[in-house]
Amino acid sequence: MNILKVENLRKVYGSGEARVEALKNVSFSMRRGEFGAVVGASGSGKSTLLNCIGGLDEADLGRVLISDRDIFAMGENERTIFRRQNIGFIFQSFHLIQELNVEQNIIFPLLLDYRKPDKAQVEEILEVLGLENRRKHLPGQLSGGQQQRVAIGRALITRPALVLADEPTGNLDSQSSQDVMDLLCKASRHYQQTVLMITHNMNLTSAADRVFRVTDGVLEELGSKVEN
Amino acid sequence: MKEKTMKHYLDLVPISAKQHRKQNWMTRLCIVLAVFLVTVIFSMADMEMRSQMVQAIQSDGKWHAGFLMDDEQTALLAARPEVERTARYGVLNYHLEEGYQIEGIETGICGFDRELLELFPAAEIVEGVFPENKDEAVINESANSRLGTGIGDTITLVTPQGDTMQYRITGIAKETALTARYDACVIFLNAEGFRQIYTGDTGEAKEMVTFAAFRSFCNIQKSIQEISAQFNLEPDEVRQNAKVLMLMFQSRDPYMMGFYLVAAVLAALVMIAGILMITSSMNSNIARRTEFFGMMRCLGATGKQVIRFVRKEALSWCKSAIPAGVLSGMAVTWILCGMLRFLSPGFFEGMPAFGISFLGIAAGVVMGFATVLLAARTPARRAAGVSPLTAVSGNAGTVQAAKKAANTRVFRVDTALGVHHAIGSKKNFFLVSGSFAFSIILFLSFGATIDFMHHAITPLRPSAPDFYVGSGDTSNSLPAELVEQISESAYVKRAFGRSSMTFELLAGGEGISGEEMILTVISYDEQQFKWAGDDLLEGNFRDALDGKGMLLAFREDGMLPVGSSIAVPCGENSREVPVAGVLGSVPFSYGTDKSTGSREGIAICSESLFRELFGDAGYAVIDIQFQSGVTDAQVQELRRMIEERCREEDCEGGIVFSDRRIENRESKGASYSLGVFLYGFLTVIALIAFFNILNCIAMSVSARMREYGAMRAVGMTVRQIVRMVWGETITYTFFGVLFGCLAGLPLNRLLFQTLVTERWGDAWELPGKEFLVILIVIGCSAVLAVRGPAKRIREMTVVDTIGAD
Repeated sequence: MNILKVENLRKVYGSGEARVEALKNVSFSMRRGEFGAVVGASGSGKSTLLNCIGGLDEADLGRVLISDRDIFAMGENERTIFRRQNIGFIFQSFHLIQELNVEQNIIFPLLLDYRKPDKAQVEEILEVLGLENRRKHLPGQLSGGQQQRVAIGRALITRPALVLADEPTGNLDSQSSQDVMDLLCKASRHYQQTVLMITHNMNLTSAADRVFRVTDGVLEELGSKVEN
Repeated sequence: MKEKTMKHYLDLVPISAKQHRKQNWMTRLCIVLAVFLVTVIFSMADMEMRSQMVQAIQSDGKWHAGFLMDDEQTALLAARPEVERTARYGVLNYHLEEGYQIEGIETGICGFDRELLELFPAAEIVEGVFPENKDEAVINESANSRLGTGIGDTITLVTPQGDTMQYRITGIAKETALTARYDACVIFLNAEGFRQIYTGDTGEAKEMVTFAAFRSFCNIQKSIQEISAQFNLEPDEVRQNAKVLMLMFQSRDPYMMGFYLVAAVLAALVMIAGILMITSSMNSNIARRTEFFGMMRCLGATGKQVIRFVRKEALSWCKSAIPAGVLSGMAVTWILCGMLRFLSPGFFEGMPAFGISFLGIAAGVVMGFATVLLAARTPARRAAGVSPLTAVSGNAGTVQAAKKAANTRVFRVDTALGVHHAIGSKKNFFLVSGSFAFSIILFLSFGATIDFMHHAITPLRPSAPDFYVGSGDTSNSLPAELVEQISESAYVKRAFGRSSMTFELLAGGEGISGEEMILTVISYDEQQFKWAGDDLLEGNFRDALDGKGMLLAFREDGMLPVGSSIAVPCGENSREVPVAGVLGSVPFSYGTDKSTGSREGIAICSESLFRELFGDAGYAVIDIQFQSGVTDAQVQELRRMIEERCREEDCEGGIVFSDRRIENRESKGASYSLGVFLYGFLTVIALIAFFNILNCIAMSVSARMREYGAMRAVGMTVRQIVRMVWGETITYTFFGVLFGCLAGLPLNRLLFQTLVTERWGDAWELPGKEFLVILIVIGCSAVLAVRGPAKRIREMTVVDTIGAD
């Protein structure tokens, strides 16, 4: 079953001489539980692609269907709520909320829905992330790797169909990077979540099922471990 | 355009300023507001002092102290180095009842040295010269026109002993409020001429008061003490010009010392408010750029260089913000001075339209620079202390790292985060809510000065006459038709008459406590009833207007209740007239008769009822209000017409006049001046509170935009973010109001007690009205403060916001 379907996505920035075509008719799809990696040079359009898929940015043309729902057909408010319930985001700079502790940061998307978090689920995530002893710590009291693990926990807490990760290891040392990769793989394999990750590091693509490359706004698939 | 080459690392300051134009604009605005607040309040205080000085000099003269001494002592006094000018002054027949007369008119006689004209600018010779010889005199304007004299004519003064003295008129003196009010005839002699009037028979004291003006920068109180000691003067032989000395900060009167204390407290409060505003803004501006300073450190800038950078940046803000604050402060002061000149043109012509208050400018500039530099110190140190690692880790938040997690159990997560944003950093919390609180403290403090104003200055009643005509013996002998005749004059705005009748309410009758009471019944026409309507405490106003009853003036020691009746003597019999209502105040004095000890009362009735009761159709008093711009000649013409008419009608008891125009102008001037400045202060404070709240919230939101972007990215809706901003705003506002009340109310009480209770004895009450006004201002500001940022948040693009790393 396709969780993500991108159709003829086009995005242009600026006009005249400053006009940049960031995405040129990008189309692809991903199934439940697939782990995709997107590589490409700086400014090639990787982040634009991820932002458009996540509904943070709007495309000029084309559609993005997540669980068969066209996110650009939704209003701003509806899209935001859809995002927090169906898409998990992981950023290079973590973007944790400094005023919330580890546990609160992880359950933040649930709190935004004014839902009571399931204790067992929170415990499970904390255990998987190896943060049981840090649950009351504030982000400022954690290392970079720990902060990224919290960000992953926040992305997974709503059990989203799609997890989007933008250079999740960009600010981390090799050990922490490996930990993050293991967690993303686990999300994909164990929880059957579709993961799409942007990375500069070709070595990290070995963990992915499918690898895409973006060059000047054009997406091509470099290879796949699974048959489409 | 050719780019300017950077020659020094500090050249980065203007480049960085260009990049952070919006945030810097907010900090600049904060500095402008603080400097504006300080400049405008100090300038206004300065201008008010000048305006009060103009009034004080006009009404009391510009002498500093007066000594009862002889000529030899006066000469010694004048020789003292700190004494700038002395002038002798004496007065005879002050109360116009001793029998010194010119052509049968009671005449006041003043004698003084020429120098006195310098000390009393109101005593101006408008035509002619000061009398050089002992048989020369200057006469006041109205007396001159009444007597039909002119310069060079001779007038004859008859003394109570029957002696006659002749004087040649050398000049005409300008009318003063006092001479106009009592329609007095006054002649002014030189000191020699004045001394000549004394004889052994007069029994008058021979001494004249010597007024002295001291040189600038002299300790006047110390000099007065020394002079008193030198000439063995008793305290009652020394007078001080209290108001002028107070305005020169030279008074040692305990009440005045309390006044100075109030001024010092208010000045300190204004300064602190300014300092708080700038500090909170700078704190937030620098904190938001921790990462940038970390990057500078990373590139090799030393801590000192970062401090220098921050300081130069702060000074570059001052370059434009301080002049803007000072200029806007001056502009507001000019507007207020202009208002005064417009409201009371004659009285405030001495006030400069574009006066410059060096005190205000200096206060604004010094406070601005000093605060900016001091406020820049802490954030600069913090910026210098940022570790390069923090900067490169990408984790140096735009806001300070929290020390405690937000409480998401009590409130929903959005509100909880808002509350935490407000109270998360103690320093920021106290700075922001402190600046809110200071608006309340300032408002409540200045509110006490409004109470002072209401006690110190009685505003002119709308019924106050410019000119008053009365029958000489208070009988109702002025013809009623005279009112119509007067009203026909083009320069008369309104004329209205009153009849009056006084009789005794007998003991055991309807009087109170069985005591006798002297009741004066006064008739009102419809217009006077309308004016009195605002003072009605209880009862029915209409019944009195329709002639079905009377209104009684309130007496604290008991009075007839509404509905009871008064037995009014009508010829042989008496007629019962019901009490229709009670008036809180009336423009007539009553109390207790000094000679008999009887209580006095005032009853107001309609003209028709008055005529029914007493039969008198005439008036005892006619009040006249003039159109603006009436001339002295027109007033004299009216006066002649009235005199002629009364002669024709053979008014028994004669007529008296009282010209209240100068007095009204002075009274209006005093209330306008204080009112304009005090209400001006309150308006400025309310405006500052408004802008400060707007700016604080806008700055806080702009400091957290990246954080909001991240929240939006992980699924927070715009409405939830706006709710978060609401949470923060309400927290600041709540604690601001709380701190403001905790400090403001005791301060209001202290100032009220110092300014009002000590002098008039009124007990302090909760300043409900002021409190409500400032609460409304703060509430409205808070609502508006969220609107702007809410719009920005709605328009925010998540990608750009979180991508601005």
